[in-house]
Amino acid sequence: MPDQLIFGMEVFLNGLMAGVLYALVALGFVLIYKASGIFNYAQGVMALFAALTLVGIMEGQVPFSHLINAIFGTEVHHFGWHVPALAAILLTMVVMVALAWVVNVLIFKHLVNQEPIILFMATIGLAYFLEGFGDMMWGSDIKTMDVGLPQGINEVIDTTTAGWFGYGFFIDNLDIVATVIAAALVFTLIVFAQYTKQGRAMRAVADDHQAALSVGISLNFIWVMVWSLAGFVALVAGIMWGTKSGVQFSLSLIALKALPVLMLGGFTSIPGAIVGGLLIGVGEKLFEFAIGAPYLGGATEIWFAYVLALIFLVFRPQGLFGEKIIERV
Amino acid sequence: MLDQTEGYTTEDGRKIGGVVMEMKNITLRFGGVVAIQDISFDVREGEIRAIIGPNGAGKSSMLNVISGFYNPQEGEVWYKGEKRPQMKPYQVAQQGIARTFQNIALFEGMSVLDNVMTGRIRQMKSGLLAQSLWKGKAEREEVENRAFVERIIDFLEIQHIRKTPVGRLPYGLKKRVELARALAAEPSILLLDEPMAGMNVEEKEDMSRFVLDVNDEFGTTIVLIEHDMGVVMDLSDRVVVMDYGKKIGDGTPDEVRSNQAVIDAYLGVAHD
Amino acid sequence: MAQSSRGADGLSSIPALLQRNAAQFGARPAYREKEYGIWQSWTWAEAEQEIEALALGLLNLGVDKGDFIAIIGRNRPYFYWSMVAAQSVGAIPVPVYQDSASDEMAYVLDHCGARFAVAEDQEQVDKIIDIQDDLHQFEHMIYVDPRGLRKYDHSKLHQFAQVQEQGRAAKDSLMSELTARRDALDYDSTCVMLYTSGTTGKPKGVVLSNRNIIEASKSSSEFDHLTRNEEVLAYLPMAWVGDFIFSIGQAYWCGFCVNCPESPDTMQVNLREIGPTYYFAPPRVFEGQLTNVMIRMEDASRMKQWLFHTFMAHARKVGPAILDGKSVSGWDRLKYKLGGLLVYGPLKDTLGLGRVRVGYTAGEAIGPEIFDFYRSLGINLKQLYGQTEASVFITLQPDGEVYSDTVGVAAPGVELKIAESGEVFYRGDGVFEEYYKNAESTASTKDAEGWVATGDAGFIDEATGHLKIIDRAKDVGKMADGSLFAPKYVENKLKFYPNILEAVVFGNQREQCTAFINIDLNAVGNWAERNNIGYASYQELAGHPRVLETVKEHVEEVNRSLAEDPMLAHCQVHRFLVLHKELDADDGEMTRTRKVRRGVISEKFEELLGALYDGSEEKFTTTEVTYEDGRKGSISATLKIVEAQVVPVAQEKVAAE
Repeated sequence: MPDQLIFGMEVFLNGLMAGVLYALVALGFVLIYKASGIFNYAQGVMALFAALTLVGIMEGQVPFSHLINAIFGTEVHHFGWHVPALAAILLTMVVMVALAWVVNVLIFKHLVNQEPIILFMATIGLAYFLEGFGDMMWGSDIKTMDVGLPQGINEVIDTTTAGWFGYGFFIDNLDIVATVIAAALVFTLIVFAQYTKQGRAMRAVADDHQAALSVGISLNFIWVMVWSLAGFVALVAGIMWGTKSGVQFSLSLIALKALPVLMLGGFTSIPGAIVGGLLIGVGEKLFEFAIGAPYLGGATEIWFAYVLALIFLVFRPQGLFGEKIIERV
Repeated sequence: MLDQTEGYTTEDGRKIGGVVMEMKNITLRFGGVVAIQDISFDVREGEIRAIIGPNGAGKSSMLNVISGFYNPQEGEVWYKGEKRPQMKPYQVAQQGIARTFQNIALFEGMSVLDNVMTGRIRQMKSGLLAQSLWKGKAEREEVENRAFVERIIDFLEIQHIRKTPVGRLPYGLKKRVELARALAAEPSILLLDEPMAGMNVEEKEDMSRFVLDVNDEFGTTIVLIEHDMGVVMDLSDRVVVMDYGKKIGDGTPDEVRSNQAVIDAYLGVAHD
Repeated sequence: MAQSSRGADGLSSIPALLQRNAAQFGARPAYREKEYGIWQSWTWAEAEQEIEALALGLLNLGVDKGDFIAIIGRNRPYFYWSMVAAQSVGAIPVPVYQDSASDEMAYVLDHCGARFAVAEDQEQVDKIIDIQDDLHQFEHMIYVDPRGLRKYDHSKLHQFAQVQEQGRAAKDSLMSELTARRDALDYDSTCVMLYTSGTTGKPKGVVLSNRNIIEASKSSSEFDHLTRNEEVLAYLPMAWVGDFIFSIGQAYWCGFCVNCPESPDTMQVNLREIGPTYYFAPPRVFEGQLTNVMIRMEDASRMKQWLFHTFMAHARKVGPAILDGKSVSGWDRLKYKLGGLLVYGPLKDTLGLGRVRVGYTAGEAIGPEIFDFYRSLGINLKQLYGQTEASVFITLQPDGEVYSDTVGVAAPGVELKIAESGEVFYRGDGVFEEYYKNAESTASTKDAEGWVATGDAGFIDEATGHLKIIDRAKDVGKMADGSLFAPKYVENKLKFYPNILEAVVFGNQREQCTAFINIDLNAVGNWAERNNIGYASYQELAGHPRVLETVKEHVEEVNRSLAEDPMLAHCQVHRFLVLHKELDADDGEMTRTRKVRRGVISEKFEELLGALYDGSEEKFTTTEVTYEDGRKGSISATLKIVEAQVVPVAQEKVAAE
């Protein structure tokens, strides 16, 4: 087998793994968009915030220590304890649910029936607020995260592929774990949405507010639930990205990558978010490998996804899995 | 005057019970516009109560007051012997008041079965965690509710579209699905907002039969709005007539029919 | 002919068969019905219990020997039980078409003098109450579905379950009477009376004895090797002899399970869920299914379309041969297997025909295209020819000898004879006893030797030895020039086009043939949708120039194929029009089994018929219609009359022989 092809396969696999992470972020967007019609620009920042909080809790950091120290002239930074990963994750989840509640009570409850663009602007505001708030709460330095996920090259794949092709594939264990977790998450979400009372209520709210009210569904409850779910997805994404490349503010930029993913997959489709994420992940890596690096001077990964999304918008505006317009009665 | 606690017996021998809901001096304003002006009437257990009136008379506003979509500026709503505080529509629904909408509010993307199942949300008690784990009580609850919903589906003869997404159904069937969803809630009061609107003669007859059968079979109290006089007179036990936001008549169909103010409103100077 | 009054093994009645089944394989399923979204089932033992309770209840209500009990409802276990319970107490079940209008029902109930009726629901109960005053002998009514009936006067009205309950309660005192009546049944006792819808005149009550039903069921079951493992879906009208034979006669003889659909509208879904092994459907059902498949394929992705067309072409080539066990090359077999995996299998499952071992169609001619389509999929679809008077079976196609234009060989135990006139006669064990209270018709149909006139003209095909039916004997006429006029033959050819739902051809004693045509709203409507042709009503679509153009092409194609047959070349359609309304049984234009009533139609649309022959180009007309609820209205339209091209026929006349 020619080397190019073997390298290509490795690039492909790595692209898939990157795609999983895009998909995770996109999933958070889809959840909120489906249930409330809000395009949540803050989804990426939520992932960052979740990751910051998680690290902060694990390391026993004192929240708002800069502020406290500046006002009271103290020098507190750490509580001096370490919280085990699992407990920290649970605590972070509590924080995310609280955040969901606050966001609803303070912002979106007051914006019911507003234009989508106004809701969108509100989420932009939320994004910047949350970014600053996270900074203030946990500090702006880059942190490393280790919740015990396996990392490093997967030896089994390395030796197996070496046996087959004479060239060992470099696949990160973390990527494999991420894939498995993402798959489990999607499966759970689908089961939840299809077969539980709350899931059904969530779909109902997404479909028609008035009708949902008339059967006794509290919109507020569902919205808090959905924002919490989105917070949970953000937390998972935050853990993955954070473990991979450290918890830093550039994390919030991945939200922008989710945009083309959504255009590809459709804003309302959970499977669409997954496939869209994978397509973009694989697409940009392969493009860089085959065309970008050799002919275009590289760095095509930065814009490839957006161009692909643009092409899609022209030919299939509802996305791959977006809701089709039903023509026949 | 009818007695507060004792009911009456209709011509066809149905027993009507005591007052289950009473509207007392309801006034509803939108800005300067008065939609409902000082209206009072009661609804008795097991009866079919109609609210009629020309377009713009305030019928829909009244239904929206009952279902909590509007909160009146003045007046009181008494339900099951208690004064009802200001409530959100979903709280009203949870109290057992189900409704349909004139323009149909269904979950278009969901199947008929799922739509009707949402009507059971009030009956599903198990919490988020139990539901998520899909264990024991939650599973049993789902099965029981499904069985109940299947009876409704059978009752309204919509078995053949059980799995069809609602968005694909023709208008007449959508109306029936909406009724099914409201019935699934086992409501103590069922509010029907123009159930026959936009239907052809045959569909109207079907719907009339379903309304009567629902009342007969489940003993459900029904409050309906309709502007098709013929349908209303055939269906209902007592009728409230509204015009320009005021009540101009209240009584049995026969009484209302011979009421001069009602005749004027319908035949006299036409508005709208 | 010496006939025993006892059947084989003493099994000389349906109740006797029921007891045998309950005793020998009581735990096997006998009935299933889908209700509340779940298939409920009853074993033979349970069915026996239910039927016994009902029979006792009937005794309790005072049913006498020889009473007629009308049974009015769609296919549900309760009504099958009612029939057998009626037989058990020596009464005669009379199933009635549940969509009959009040006056049709009044005629039947009055004619048989029914004292009792088992009805499905409020709708049927209301109908009977409407006509009750004119029926002096009528006494009690039993209903199954209590909905809406609570307020009714219950002095003569009983709920099915309660009748059973009272029967169970009175078991001690009534059981001996029931046993005595049941044991008194023999081969000569009446099993059932079925009213034939008849294309003309009032319906006739065909009396069928236990001998007729059991012998016909037995020999036909043996013919197709039916066993107690068959599954059937009962969805055709219970008043039709076919359903009685399939769902009672053969079901009780073989001991197989009868499945009842959830509602008439869910038949297709239920068919898929049950997957019957033995299936009967009239040609129009097969036609409708095929049309649906084709419509769905047009919306399918290109890949799917390609797969479908490629493999269907292969199936048409080798499918029927494989089904008939003929030799086919290994490569073709392999390709057919692959097709089975990719196309035929999934398609058959979608149609609900994946498990069909024996399938029949009858009643009308089936289009060769349609027939071949199902056979090429590997479905053993065959044709039979039957009548109520024959307890269904006159001829059947044996496995491996199946043709789209024949109806098969004489059924076991049946003799065939073609009269001089071309009319087909038969006799055998299934031949009916008499028309009830109509000795005249009995005599004119059945002669002293037991030969029964079918009323159909036909001949034995020399190549295959099978019977071929051309038309109703009385409808085969002569044209003005003396040549053969076989309208149904032409109509069938027209109806083979999916766009044409019905056709009525005229030409008896006339110079040339003309036709009325009904388009198929389903097929044409779909075509219109795809071609962006808007229409608000059937009438508007039927009058659309492009629709007329398409129909004209079909007519001309038929003319070309007719011209090839010297016997029928004169039947080419010169002029036609597309009717502004669908022919409808409610308006009396068709029978309940959807056969056109030529006489009624030519009278009703007299002016249109005139216009077909006076050379006019269009005609304004007004027609009265009856809505489903019995109200009347009228529709009017201006209809275009279309000239179709005909192939000139050689002047020299072909001898009629």
